[in-house]
Amino acid sequence: MNDAYRAEMHKFGRIFTVLGILVMFLAPTMIWLVSGVAPDFNKMVVGIIALSAIYLPGGIIEVATYSPLLGTSATYLAFITGNLINLKVPCVMNATEICGTKINTPENEVVSTMSVAFSSITTVVIMSLGIILLIPLRPILNSAILQPAFSWVVSALFGALGYKYFKGSWKLVVAPIIFVIIISIIAPTFVNSNIVIIILLSAIVSIVVSKILYNKEIV
Amino acid sequence: MILAITDINEIREAWWLYAIGAFVTLFIIGGSLFFAFKAYKRSKELEMSKADIKKAIISSVSFSILPSIGIFIGIITMSGFLGIPLPWIRLSVLGALHYELMAASVAAEGVNAISMTIQNFTTIAFTMTISIIWGSLFTLFFFKKYQSKVVDKATAKTGRSFGPLLFQSVFIGLISAYFGDAFSRLFKFNTREIVDGAYTGNIIENKSFVPLVVFLVSFLCMMGMDYLVKKKNVKWLENFQLSFSMVIGMTAAVLLGLGGIY
Repeated sequence: MNDAYRAEMHKFGRIFTVLGILVMFLAPTMIWLVSGVAPDFNKMVVGIIALSAIYLPGGIIEVATYSPLLGTSATYLAFITGNLINLKVPCVMNATEICGTKINTPENEVVSTMSVAFSSITTVVIMSLGIILLIPLRPILNSAILQPAFSWVVSALFGALGYKYFKGSWKLVVAPIIFVIIISIIAPTFVNSNIVIIILLSAIVSIVVSKILYNKEIV
Repeated sequence: MILAITDINEIREAWWLYAIGAFVTLFIIGGSLFFAFKAYKRSKELEMSKADIKKAIISSVSFSILPSIGIFIGIITMSGFLGIPLPWIRLSVLGALHYELMAASVAAEGVNAISMTIQNFTTIAFTMTISIIWGSLFTLFFFKKYQSKVVDKATAKTGRSFGPLLFQSVFIGLISAYFGDAFSRLFKFNTREIVDGAYTGNIIENKSFVPLVVFLVSFLCMMGMDYLVKKKNVKWLENFQLSFSMVIGMTAAVLLGLGGIY
């Protein structure tokens, strides 16, 4: 990696993150200032503790898992623009697969940055257009006919992406798939309501089995 | 600047909240363009082909449209409870629908759209913003060190190395987990009832094979399109194969829905 470029991106990334956090607090602070009504601090602290019990480890796991794929700039961008698992990560996986770049290379850094940047722009533009066109759009998007399509958009996304990642790695796929099938049969609601934990567990299964296959020179 | 507004609707749909939403949008676009420009300059130094950059952009934009519409539907879902601008802002910076709904229900338990007070609204806005911030803070303080100490070491070895396989395994694990998500719904999943954009506390039990069908249809479409791109040389399809596969998978869900299967 080019250390000078990377160091520069860390600098800009950190500035962007600090600005992003400030921007995030703009709305709640303005609501407080304009209304003159402070939040209920007791409820707020209880809420933050309850949610952070899930989202603090979740946040750390996400940075540890996705930052190698995203690279420097895209990690900073994605951890401010959000929607990582349902959009940014698969988007980058797709772009790097199409461009054939390898993790932690300068080329991957470029492709993933372009990918997250234009994905983020697409999202905010669509949301803004949606807000402008809200009155005519609301009945269409809320229609009972289209509801199933958007209820299962994540399954469509990972189904399509799945082929790209499973192709050529079938030996690595068997163990995590068998693992999730077994755990889905035993505890289905645990699987579909704790996806971060399931990702972590199936990634561990996948890594352990890959390591065994690697040591035996099967892969 | 305390104006002491007492009507919750004046806050929920306030023009200045829309203005903040517009500002947040411009901030995201500005930041994204800045990093994209830096990456573009870098691609020239690396003598990367313009075609690759174009591919990265087109595939990412086309890929992002459908999930973004899904995210926008999140704004509509929450609008009955929180108005339009706050969900718009929240889903633009580090937001996700299930998280925002959970945060709203934790911060204002038992409150509905009609009984909501300004204090409930302020509490919800702060709770939502603070509790999701950990990933960004971790990025800010520890990412640089993590990258040099862990990622670089895992990928640095030349020759036969487990590094690339490690990350490949993580992504295979990730996709397997989402296969599990779809598969597990064959047996049981709980839906939390939403009325007026907020959780009511009621749990509805369901089971469905639709997500598994959607997963498999998208998977098979991708296989077919990959064959067309790689073997039949239909190059233009490359940037759109993921989006098209998703649309076909989602259409399968709509068709099943029309047949009364949800």
